[in-house]
Amino acid sequence: MINFIRKRIQTGILTEKIETNNKLDNIKKGIKTLVNKKFAGSLAIRMVDSGSCNACEAECNALSNPYYNLESLGIYFVASPRHADILLVSGVLTSNMYHHLLEAKEQVPSLKWIITLGDCPLMQSVFEKTYAIMAPVQDHIEVTHHIPGCPPQPDEIIKELLKFLKKI
Amino acid sequence: MRLIAKFAKDVENSFEIVTVFDTKTQKETIDKNTPIALSIAHKYPSALWYERKIFDDFGIVFTNSFDTRPLLHHERFPQDVHPLQKSFTAKTIEFTDFRPYKYKTVGGDGVFEVAVGPIHAGIIEPGHFQFSQDGERMLHLDIRHFYTHRGIEKMVQNKSLLDARAIVGRISGNESVAYQTAYMDIISQASNTALPVEIKSYHALLLEFERLIHHVSDIGFIPNDAGFSAALSFASKLAEDSRRIFKQLTGHRFGFDAVSFKIPNFNHQEFLNFLNELHKEIKWFETWIKGVPSLWDRFDTTGILTHTKAVKYDSVGVMARASGVALDRRDNDFYKQHGFKIALQTSGDVAARFSLRIMEIYNSIEMMKSLLQDIKPLHVKVPVKFNNGSYQTFIESSIGELFMSVDVSGGLIDRFFVRDPSHVNWQVVHAMMLKDIIADFPLINKSCDLSYAGNDL
Ligand code: SF4
Repeated sequence: MINFIRKRIQTGILTEKIETNNKLDNIKKGIKTLVNKKFAGSLAIRMVDSGSCNACEAECNALSNPYYNLESLGIYFVASPRHADILLVSGVLTSNMYHHLLEAKEQVPSLKWIITLGDCPLMQSVFEKTYAIMAPVQDHIEVTHHIPGCPPQPDEIIKELLKFLKKI
Repeated sequence: MRLIAKFAKDVENSFEIVTVFDTKTQKETIDKNTPIALSIAHKYPSALWYERKIFDDFGIVFTNSFDTRPLLHHERFPQDVHPLQKSFTAKTIEFTDFRPYKYKTVGGDGVFEVAVGPIHAGIIEPGHFQFSQDGERMLHLDIRHFYTHRGIEKMVQNKSLLDARAIVGRISGNESVAYQTAYMDIISQASNTALPVEIKSYHALLLEFERLIHHVSDIGFIPNDAGFSAALSFASKLAEDSRRIFKQLTGHRFGFDAVSFKIPNFNHQEFLNFLNELHKEIKWFETWIKGVPSLWDRFDTTGILTHTKAVKYDSVGVMARASGVALDRRDNDFYKQHGFKIALQTSGDVAARFSLRIMEIYNSIEMMKSLLQDIKPLHVKVPVKFNNGSYQTFIESSIGELFMSVDVSGGLIDRFFVRDPSHVNWQVVHAMMLKDIIADFPLINKSCDLSYAGNDL
């Protein structure tokens, strides 16, 4: 334990050390202010993989690492759509996920927003239409905002979240 | 004999079933008018998913099978549609009425079921787990997947070998380099061109880098699922550092499209420094984590895959090696000369899989340092002519043995098949937890860290 505490102190706070320091810091400040104003300080996101390659998920997980520390801005990934404000959809919407996505969307309490993550949900990644794919997602549900990239990097996701918060 | 894969092809007037064992490959011709075949699942339980997939894809019935439930085709998928038949060309399907899927469950007084998925509580891929419970004890688990089934095999059919590269590299994001490397081997076989050793070493370096990042994230996520989140903070920092270096090297955080015909110029000394620093950090992590007894209390004897079961279910990769099965596709001269040592554990529990990952991190670092010496900026010509034929390859991905088979005809892909290590390993997961309680399941599942996307295709 003593070792751990020593290491902890030596390492310091990494969240400040990000290369794009000033720019990203400003964006983070913007997000925090808007989350406070529009969502009473806490914005809950439910992520649904509708047929992704799993890299988009990995980048969302990276948002919680000490460098990005998204939770410090009041943004949480929650365990159930019923706890969520936003449904974040990745993947090409497979026919096997279609009904589950609609169900998850139903379970999100109103007001609700849908954000698409990565090029897949818009059919803009390298995947092509087959019998098993139903994307573009916006043909089936109303999408408020899109985060492009294959996959979008964590810092890009953060920037896009600010755009979304300004938009609504 | 170990069953490696079983798949079918549509060859004009008949179907062909190919069964790949470690010592031989069998081919069987099936009449299209009476598409029936015999199941081998009684002897090789891991044949079950292959055979159920062959039925869904081609409509071939395995008459003596003990499980003929649909696999890829879920409740509303039209019956009698078999998309890998060449005559099927539609790009959409019409959903039918809901036909309930019959989960295999255990009955009895007080026994109840817990249904989990396809959408899970964390940021994770979709899949369904149906537990039969006696209180907290798991009596049985029926796993159902293929929610992320995108129809990859059909998607790449009739594409030129080079055109399909970007798709193949995105089948399973965290194994991208493994898929790309396997596919690159197919390309060089089909074009009859041997890649120079520099390029081979560069690809091997990227593959070890991918494995390293996968393992480093896992050694954070596994303790996190046992409630020890400090490990996740520490390891996710190292994983993020590594991804950033991976991007400097390949231009992409996951190395998408990085396995190609050229080696970029990069600063070897800086890369070496990074590896040395990482080695130090992992050493610190290892000492620290080994000194947390409450964590090992959760890890030890949890989720045991016995050696017997691992062999019976043809398990591969990290899961097999943690149960004492010495199986690794890197076990050859090329890798040995760069310092490859097979990592083995015997207890087959979460602790074994966790410790095995740490052992492999060290070995990957050592191999990368050695591979680095073979690497210098280089550019070779991209092949343009491809010979007709059937090409197979094996790669050890960060999860385990990846098998790929591609038939080329007229320069185009006639049949693309890939068997992700996860496809085999998922089938043994139900046999690993009969002594555990349901609260241990996330931990057990994470310690295996199998791919859903690669499994589902
Ligand atoms: S957008 Fe790219 S990274 Fe994201 S799921 Fe699709 S292929 Fe994978």
